[in-house]
Amino acid sequence: MLETSPLETFLRGVAILLVILFFMFPIFWIVLMSFQTNETILRIPPSFIFEPTFDNYRALITGKLETNAASLDIAFMRNMGNSVLLSVGAVLLALILGVPAAYSFARHKTRFSEDIAFTLLSFRFAPPLLVLLPLTIYFQKLGLSDTYFGLIWVYQLICLPLILWIVRGYFEDISEDVEYAYRIGGHSWFETFRKIAVPLAGPGIAAAGLLAFIFAWNNFIFALVLASADKQPVTVGALAFVTASGIQYGQIAAAIVLSITPTLLLAVYAQKYLVEGLSLGAVKG
Amino acid sequence: MTEKSLKGLQLDRIVKRYKGDTVLNGISLSVDSGSTLVLFGPSGAGKTVLLRTIAGVIEPDSGQVSINGQDMSGVDPEDRGVGMAFQNFALFPHMSAYKNIASSIEVKERSASRLDAAVRSVAELLKIDQVLDHAPRALSNGQKQRTALARALVGSPSLLLLDDPLRNVDAKLRFEMRIELPALLAQQGTTVVYVTQDYKEAMALGDTIVVMTEGNIQQTGTPAEIYLSPATIDIAKQFGDPVINLFDVTPQRDNKGQYISLSNSRIYLENGIADLTNGEYVLGIRPQALRFSSASDEESIAATVEAVTPLNEKTVTLLLTAGGRELLLSRPAGLDDPEQGPVHVSFDPSAIHLFEKDSGKRVELINTKTEAVA
Amino acid sequence: MSTSQLQLHRVDKIYGVASTGVHAVKDLSMQVNAGEIVALLGSSGCGKTSTLRMIAGFEEVSSGSIEINGTPIHQLPPVRRNVAMAFEGYSLYPPLTVRDNIAFALKSAKLAKSEIASRVAHVAQLLEIENILDRYPVSISGGQQQRASLGRALIRDADLHLLDEPMGQLEPQLRAVLRARIKHFIKERGLTAILVTHDQTEANALGDRIAVMEAGLLQQYDTAAHLKNSPANLFTGTFIGEPPMNVFAASVELHDNSVHLLLAEAVTLVYASSEFDPRVLERIAGVKKLMLGIRPYAVRRAASGVVATVVANQWLGDQTHISTSFAGSNLVIVEHDRVRLNKGDEISVAIAADDLHLFDSETWVALSHGRNVA
Repeated sequence: MLETSPLETFLRGVAILLVILFFMFPIFWIVLMSFQTNETILRIPPSFIFEPTFDNYRALITGKLETNAASLDIAFMRNMGNSVLLSVGAVLLALILGVPAAYSFARHKTRFSEDIAFTLLSFRFAPPLLVLLPLTIYFQKLGLSDTYFGLIWVYQLICLPLILWIVRGYFEDISEDVEYAYRIGGHSWFETFRKIAVPLAGPGIAAAGLLAFIFAWNNFIFALVLASADKQPVTVGALAFVTASGIQYGQIAAAIVLSITPTLLLAVYAQKYLVEGLSLGAVKG
Repeated sequence: MTEKSLKGLQLDRIVKRYKGDTVLNGISLSVDSGSTLVLFGPSGAGKTVLLRTIAGVIEPDSGQVSINGQDMSGVDPEDRGVGMAFQNFALFPHMSAYKNIASSIEVKERSASRLDAAVRSVAELLKIDQVLDHAPRALSNGQKQRTALARALVGSPSLLLLDDPLRNVDAKLRFEMRIELPALLAQQGTTVVYVTQDYKEAMALGDTIVVMTEGNIQQTGTPAEIYLSPATIDIAKQFGDPVINLFDVTPQRDNKGQYISLSNSRIYLENGIADLTNGEYVLGIRPQALRFSSASDEESIAATVEAVTPLNEKTVTLLLTAGGRELLLSRPAGLDDPEQGPVHVSFDPSAIHLFEKDSGKRVELINTKTEAVA
Repeated sequence: MSTSQLQLHRVDKIYGVASTGVHAVKDLSMQVNAGEIVALLGSSGCGKTSTLRMIAGFEEVSSGSIEINGTPIHQLPPVRRNVAMAFEGYSLYPPLTVRDNIAFALKSAKLAKSEIASRVAHVAQLLEIENILDRYPVSISGGQQQRASLGRALIRDADLHLLDEPMGQLEPQLRAVLRARIKHFIKERGLTAILVTHDQTEANALGDRIAVMEAGLLQQYDTAAHLKNSPANLFTGTFIGEPPMNVFAASVELHDNSVHLLLAEAVTLVYASSEFDPRVLERIAGVKKLMLGIRPYAVRRAASGVVATVVANQWLGDQTHISTSFAGSNLVIVEHDRVRLNKGDEISVAIAADDLHLFDSETWVALSHGRNVA
């Protein structure tokens, strides 16, 4: 509150710099790697000085990987497409199911509503592998394994609890009186939900959707087990660069850069919403 | 018209419990069509829950709500035809003041021009016609409150529910609205249920006041009945600023009859009432019933001035009696009040109130008179 | 016993950058004498709380100085300023009982145990919290927490006692008596105290002097009586007083022996020129448009006079508020007795020259109060 000395200001700056370095260095290093060939990456000692190359990106986008040994087909762009389809689909479905459910949990407290809400959240606690084995068998029986729909369904394990809990907090923050006022004005409960509750919880719904999208995008294990090559998202697709003839670090780095770009852009764009959303609606806009 | 159809609102043994707590303990009351009933009580008395039960947004566990003679059981809030204004205004933040007001009639009123005319006329009445296109956050507190009132009034509902609508506006606005409201409500001819914690609002606006505590009705009456003959100690304390002076007393008897002794005077109670001798009672005297008197007045009480505090054109003096009791005395400002030192005070014995100490219930007194102790 | 004098000299507070920031307090100079109780009064955002926080040391001054007994303190951290503060949000220490909360500062000051115990007992009795001394803050009501917080501040020996909205949450029935007791306590011990409040009743009751603030500017710094009888401008005039001052736009005509005040709807108030100090006439002769302020208590019903029509008549137990339609606006009349008048009744009102407050309608500056120049 009172004046700070120049030394204090300086030390504070150094501390902030250290934190930034610690968190940003891996990303920085990966970006550097993506512009290098395997040889320059594997140099010892590593160096910041190299001749940048776009070969890695070219290989990913054209789908042809030329190595010393052979020419390899890679499906990276297809994987990107799968990622978009799966994540967007999963988030949309989760919003359609989760927003009304969140409203119900926020407004119509019944005897078991708290338990049900917690059970849904607890899906997030269980290790995914625990669910995966039985799921694989069920999916095979139901003919759902290796379908987009099946994957989107499983992705609800990630998206639905997130949306439910974040959006519920936002609904709870809306004064009940505001909704009562609208109902007394002659509108049905569904009108009230649509015209009052959803618009007022808008920022929360957007934040939850965004967060769910990022989590879905970054998922690895579900798609690894339940989908074959042509349905796999980028996270799994990157495995293709671990080949018999060696690990293609350059391409992996480039794939990572490309695959984190959409989520990173989204996150930067919606930073404010995200922070609010993460505090479960506790911070009002 | 039958007798029953004259009731704008009738409640029959409304009960509501939350997790074992009884919030409304069998409330029955009725309001004449076109009159104003004030629900008065401290927070937690159940006033707001009762109001919401009438509006239909809370369902009672048992009991019946009838509006204009029609049973409202199972009728959704949107179909009850009531208007309601909330303590926190409850405006829709994403709609302009105009849309806020229009929302109350947009479902019923299909004609756009009639809707527009209705919104504009109520806005003019409440002096917010200049700010109709503003969003709620761009409105001042007073404008928000008027918008909320306009939204409740616009459909000319036959029953208007006002939940402490003046609570969150400043003193000046509150006063202005208190003066304006009766004319406004009379113009609409609606039945009104008005919730407040402010006894002045209750007295100013109510044709009838219902005093509630902890889910029960304590007293129902006109403002004069409640102020002049409070049914319990609590009600006597709640109506009046500064608060009524209260003393524990034990009536005695001598050859002239029953009396209560206070300092060096005896207040004789008329023989017509029951024998109170040796019982535990509480005597109440309103601060404005006390007056300064001269030392020569034998019935007066000796005291010293502790502090003098002005209160809205009144001067409130805190006195400490010779017996160590605190007394508040209130007089119109501008009179020659002693600022400090020893004083004598006296009072008109007909102005005293007597309550049973245990139950807090009022004891009716007739023709009390004071005499000095010989 | 401690008596200290506080001096604020040309204090400014700007939040954010000087050019774009919020100028919360503007060029504030004022002095609080030793043993004086001063109230900082204003609506929210007027700068009163910023001022208090600068005195306490929770905010830096942007420019200017603050001195206690001639020693600058505005550079010192809060703990070295020797001020005691009661916070609006109570800020009681949750792990301590009410008793330990109140005694906290005394314990760190290494006072004898018996001394601490007797002081706590005294303050607890004063604030009616004896029965909750061994409870924890979470288990008591808001009003009780506020009283505990007040006790913690009042019990200390400090150069200065700062009270931020100390009574906002108090139970209404306790307010009048607690105000009087606290005033007595502060005066008896000769403490210097600054009270921040938005409630003029509180400011009037406690403050020896009241600093009225609005938009960061000190509007007037005077005793309650002077604020009421000689407001420096129209803001103070209408802000102070409950119910608020009646205000009418007027123009003046000076005749040979009389003064005519022309209001709307051809209402004219006529006074003999001899009723005014000649300097008043000189001063208002050149002003075309002025504002006429009349206190509601100053309006008398008279056998003959100007006609007003009753709009509302509200009896509040110890006074009656009558709202009338007069000169195209509302004229509110307050009387101490119960008045029986109905809506639509016509009454004659008289306003004495002594009770006229004239303001310049452009600058809002007061021109005259009664017979005298402002």
